[in-house]
Amino acid sequence: MSAPSAVESAAPAVVEIRGLTKIFRDFWRRPKVRAVDGLDLEVRPGEIFGLLGPNGSGKTTTLKILLGLLFPSGGEVRVFGRPPHDIATKRRIGYLPEESALYGYLTPRETLDFYGRLFALPAAPRRERAGQLLRMVGLAHAAERPVGEFSKGMSRRIGLAQALINDPELVVLDEPTAGLDPIGCRQIKDLMLALARRGKTIVLSSHLLADVEDVCDRIVILYNGRIRAQGGVTDLLEKKDLTRITVPAVPAETLRAVIGMLRESTGRAPEVEHPTMDLEHFFLQVVEEAHRSSQAPSGVGRADGTARYLDGREAGRGN
Amino acid sequence: MLRIRQVLVLAGLTALEALRQPICLLLTGTCVLLTALAPMLVMHVFGEEGKLARDSGLAFHFVFGMFVAGHAACACVAREIRCGTTATVLSKPVGRTLFFASKFAGVAAVVLAFSACATLATLLSERVAEKLHTGPEGWGYVTDWRAGWLLAAAPFAAAAAAGAINWALRRPFESTAFLLLLCAVPAAFFICGFFDRLGRPAPLDFRVDWRILPAAALIAMALLVLAAAAMAVATRLPTVPTLTVVAGLFLAGLVSDHFLGRRAAASPAALFLYRLIPNWQNFWLCDALTGGGAIAWSYVAQAGLYAAACVTAFLGLGALSFAHVEMK
Repeated sequence: MSAPSAVESAAPAVVEIRGLTKIFRDFWRRPKVRAVDGLDLEVRPGEIFGLLGPNGSGKTTTLKILLGLLFPSGGEVRVFGRPPHDIATKRRIGYLPEESALYGYLTPRETLDFYGRLFALPAAPRRERAGQLLRMVGLAHAAERPVGEFSKGMSRRIGLAQALINDPELVVLDEPTAGLDPIGCRQIKDLMLALARRGKTIVLSSHLLADVEDVCDRIVILYNGRIRAQGGVTDLLEKKDLTRITVPAVPAETLRAVIGMLRESTGRAPEVEHPTMDLEHFFLQVVEEAHRSSQAPSGVGRADGTARYLDGREAGRGN
Repeated sequence: MLRIRQVLVLAGLTALEALRQPICLLLTGTCVLLTALAPMLVMHVFGEEGKLARDSGLAFHFVFGMFVAGHAACACVAREIRCGTTATVLSKPVGRTLFFASKFAGVAAVVLAFSACATLATLLSERVAEKLHTGPEGWGYVTDWRAGWLLAAAPFAAAAAAGAINWALRRPFESTAFLLLLCAVPAAFFICGFFDRLGRPAPLDFRVDWRILPAAALIAMALLVLAAAAMAVATRLPTVPTLTVVAGLFLAGLVSDHFLGRRAAASPAALFLYRLIPNWQNFWLCDALTGGGAIAWSYVAQAGLYAAACVTAFLGLGALSFAHVEMK
């Protein structure tokens, strides 16, 4: 997670939402669905902010309103202190939609070049960034294939790459890990953490709770367009009435003595177990070994780490 | 400056996307092929072969052009809104009006490229048609088979070359074939200039009926108006309903002289509708070429102003509508 100092800073909020309401209407303009209902929230600079909720809870609608793609029925939305449809503000935003909508007849390289041109990036850094991003998402070997031929996971990776071509200050990710294999999920989480370390602000929506828990500083949980819970992840999840102690394996007598002391102190026997590696880490280890012994892949290739310009290794290359 | 660059980028992408769809190549290639074959397949029409070839070529130009314009316009607006690419682009620093205008520029580029191809094909087709030939070697009715086969071979040559390029360089087949067809038809036109109608080498002289040019230019204008109308409708309706509405608009414009023009003097409602619906008769002037007649370029300029007004009106309505479209 990003540094607490960044999260708790007094800098103006990157995103401010006050009383946001969105009502979708039918052909006759009659109210059909109240997707967002009186939403209030604030995203501060440098934090990773998660919007959680079941399907249809208003996560994507909120994100699209932030980007000026949908129009609010009520309330106020400011991004970097400006209305969401402000063109200059959008220069500072990167957006990964829920479905990676790409031009199917373009190759990944052409796709990134196209989006880079929309930001008026000069040719040399545009090519350089495209190359770095393609390596980062593990698709350098498929750079000349039309993206229409790609699997969902591969399209997702190109979608992520296009969202980062402008080295945005605010990254909006709608279900970023949907359709990705565990390696892709891990890479995206590492990327988010790397971006947050550089002071970037990230707003993401997801219903994959483990992913959110791994990276988010603060979350809101939406249900039927309303906030049901919000706060720091640690604050919300911490069980203050329990304590876990993890130590290297100890002899049986020491363990018995410690258990005795704890029973005496708390009045009940503690649970003792050997911790297990989580399945994600075990899977990543197995695939890493397979990568080392395999030939050229047909799908996603081995990805490099975060693109250099995104993790700050290339200073002075802003858009 | 940034906005001009964005227009160029978006228009270029729109044109490229349209060209990479097989339907665009199929329609253009078929139009050229049918235009080439028309004068070679009709016989015994009592000296009207030239007129028949010319009218057929212009009709193919109009009909196939309508499909090219309608399909490209729907694909770049309705389909893109539905599949989400529009939302992705609009999340970048791109204004909605600029986006919409750029899309039209891209579609217009494709329509004009198609029209250039179809116009050259019609010029050559008219040359191919059987005509009375008189010379020192005698007289008789002559069909310019060499020019006909050369024109008919152009789509196949373009497809074969694009196939080879696709195999060797992995370039996309459809757009390469379309661009090669844009080169092959003028090449055929130019090569034919070095042969007379009997197929003998001769000094460069194209031996075509240049009166066809203004007629073809008028059709190209009509296609641009249709494309603008289709784009405006496509901001609110999916592809098939859009094409239906545009087909209705086309038919209404064809018959507006008959049903509305005659009543315009007596009925304000008829006058309003007559003024409102684009009159396609202004753009279809093939009959003016019959019997050695010609279409004055001053008329073409006037029609150009009319077409520009129609395009501006449709694009204005479309941009207004697009500004309020929600990217769900």
